[in-house]
Amino acid sequence: MKLAELQTNFQDAVFDAECKDRDWIKGSARGLSSRDRLDIYHNAYRLRLIDVLLDTFEHTSIYLGDDWFNQLAADYVQLHHSTYNNIGLYGKDFPSFLAERFPEDGEVSELALMDWTLRRAFDGADSSVMTQEDLQQLVSVESTGILLQAVPTMTICTQHFNTLDIWHAINQDQTPPVVEQLPQPIDILIWRKGHSPHFRSLTKIEAIAIDRVCSEGTLDAIGVTLENEFPDVDVATELGVMLHRWLDEELIQKPGSVHSCC
Amino acid sequence: MTSGFGLGLRTQHYNDFLAEPQPVDWLEVISDNYMVDGGKPLAMLDQIRANYPMVMHGVSMSIGSVKGLDKEYLHKLKKLEQRIEPMWVSDHLCWTGVHGRNMHDLLPLPYTQEALQVVKRNVEQAQAVLQRPLVLENVSSYVEYESSEMTEWEFLAEVCKATGCRLLLDINNIYVSAFNHDFSPISFIKGVPVESVTQFHLAGHQNNGDHLVDTHDHPVCDGVWDLYRQALIHFGYVPTMIERDDNIPTLAELIDELNMARAVADDVLNTKVAL
Repeated sequence: MKLAELQTNFQDAVFDAECKDRDWIKGSARGLSSRDRLDIYHNAYRLRLIDVLLDTFEHTSIYLGDDWFNQLAADYVQLHHSTYNNIGLYGKDFPSFLAERFPEDGEVSELALMDWTLRRAFDGADSSVMTQEDLQQLVSVESTGILLQAVPTMTICTQHFNTLDIWHAINQDQTPPVVEQLPQPIDILIWRKGHSPHFRSLTKIEAIAIDRVCSEGTLDAIGVTLENEFPDVDVATELGVMLHRWLDEELIQKPGSVHSCC
Repeated sequence: MTSGFGLGLRTQHYNDFLAEPQPVDWLEVISDNYMVDGGKPLAMLDQIRANYPMVMHGVSMSIGSVKGLDKEYLHKLKKLEQRIEPMWVSDHLCWTGVHGRNMHDLLPLPYTQEALQVVKRNVEQAQAVLQRPLVLENVSSYVEYESSEMTEWEFLAEVCKATGCRLLLDINNIYVSAFNHDFSPISFIKGVPVESVTQFHLAGHQNNGDHLVDTHDHPVCDGVWDLYRQALIHFGYVPTMIERDDNIPTLAELIDELNMARAVADDVLNTKVAL
């Protein structure tokens, strides 16, 4: 048997739901059949990927409970083959898989997406962050057209349920609250500050401002957008407060950084 | 003695290595864990690297790929190699998946002339990118193929001879595979070229009665210590590392185990007898 054919056969045997005897594998030694031997790889493949999902989706697994989560993870492993060198990326489609499995329980996939996004922020790209001093220097040189670029780990997740409260309760080893659909969806900002992933909810005005930052808007353009959207708001003051907070929270890149976000 | 005794760097021990000097001569890092865009893993790596020599050990090169190596993977590996400046770079004699899939396992190759040509070509590809000899580790295995035409050690010797690559002999993997396939571990040790062996791994495994599984979640067992003695007698001093990937104990416990390796090596190398 040629190498390519053997490798394809081996991979198919591992991916098959049922492990069977194969005549291209030697049996006999130690009384183990070819099926017994392949079964070691067959089981290890599933256990390894389920472990990765458990590690990545910690809050989701606690919310669903071990048995239920393990069954869902096993189903996911059977349906989704990894195409990544980095095993940590294997769970990328798990939130959408859960959304399909739980069409009436949207908080499950929202929780999974939050777990996933926080994990990705952990080892996302580095960037130099803009400080208050950097901004003052920029303003002194150029009062208009200052471009704000978000740090590369910044992501916005929109939630329709009280998923954030559920996440907090699980994180504090408390019983999660009863699921509620929110009157209005909320945007959750996720990014890395220092070495730690952070998140917080956004007001409507800040969500629009951040959206403009992610599309590489200038400070002036962000102001114009907010004035159009919120004619009754003192946009200059509001934007000043937001900008101060963004810099403190390490949300904005130093000018000249090359990474993009969102 | 140039490179002493090392440990695998694990996240659980970052703070120990940052807090104070540890009696470890070098650290082995899993290359794939640091082939990321940024964040804490790379920051910790840089800080710890400042105080310890390192070697890089990968799990995803898939040197047995018929279609050749993943160029993007090699590029990222080279980038990490330039960042760390390791003493050497290793991966495994195995394949990990085909048709764009990755099984995230170290799967054994059939030891055939065809596979030999594939591995030789791929080792040369890796060495051309890395601009240094690749170090290949023997994997533990649970299957043997009907199509194999030579032993694993004959295969490894041929690869070394043809490409100039080096060997990381995992003593535990030899022990596990020898048990599972009923061959002599001493034949393996005697069958690979002495001058090619760059590093030893020592690790624990799980005994399931009719087969052993290379779990890296137990201390090194007596049988593996005995085989390590035999390897030292045959190869002389070789940089040695304790590899622990699961059920990871405190750093102090691992250092105790590493000191046992030091004691065994001192004992053997000072009273060397014929194998």
